[in-house]
Amino acid sequence: MEANEVLDAKGLACPMPIVKTKKAIEKLESGEVLEVQATDKGAKSDIAAWVKSGGHELLKDTEENDVLKFWIKKG
Amino acid sequence: MANTKVAIIAANGSLFDAYKVFNVASAAAASDAEVGIFFTFEGLNLIHKEGHKNLPLPEGKEHFQEGFQKANVPSIEELVGIAQEMDVKLIACQMTMDVMSLEKEDFVEGIEVGGAASFIEYAKDANISLTF
Repeated sequence: MEANEVLDAKGLACPMPIVKTKKAIEKLESGEVLEVQATDKGAKSDIAAWVKSGGHELLKDTEENDVLKFWIKKG
Repeated sequence: MANTKVAIIAANGSLFDAYKVFNVASAAAASDAEVGIFFTFEGLNLIHKEGHKNLPLPEGKEHFQEGFQKANVPSIEELVGIAQEMDVKLIACQMTMDVMSLEKEDFVEGIEVGGAASFIEYAKDANISLTF
């Protein structure tokens, strides 16, 4: 899936994936897509919750070789 | 989570307590909540200029040191910086400071000093109140 920006948050523990995602999405325009890559297993529920609370949209998420990927459309 | 207000009391001073406080505070701030933390008694260690860089593990739990490194968790110093960057309000308890002979200068930059009444005033319309 196409993304305007890719954030590498692999190897980071809670709460850093969320903190970095917030900073990264601030640089995007509404409607643009941010791809987040993480290895923190908690990110799966955390990113989903964060997207919801921020009024963004989780377009897709995958898990491959312990790497979680999320595509977030900025609200 | 904009328009959500989080009020936290930090009353304990071990490394575990620091992670509980700053992880929840940063996660809330990253979710656009307004966050204020009132540091009282041992909780003041968490923002003490030198103390917060070297917080003790709880007695008998020293073996978790390795786990912290393995899990690659950020240092408390980093988390304090992140919290401040996201406008988390850090309030040191005046009364505890008096008891412990501490001055504002003994703490990290950018903190506020207040009494219990200022925390109550801040927390009265909070959506989430937590004590650690």
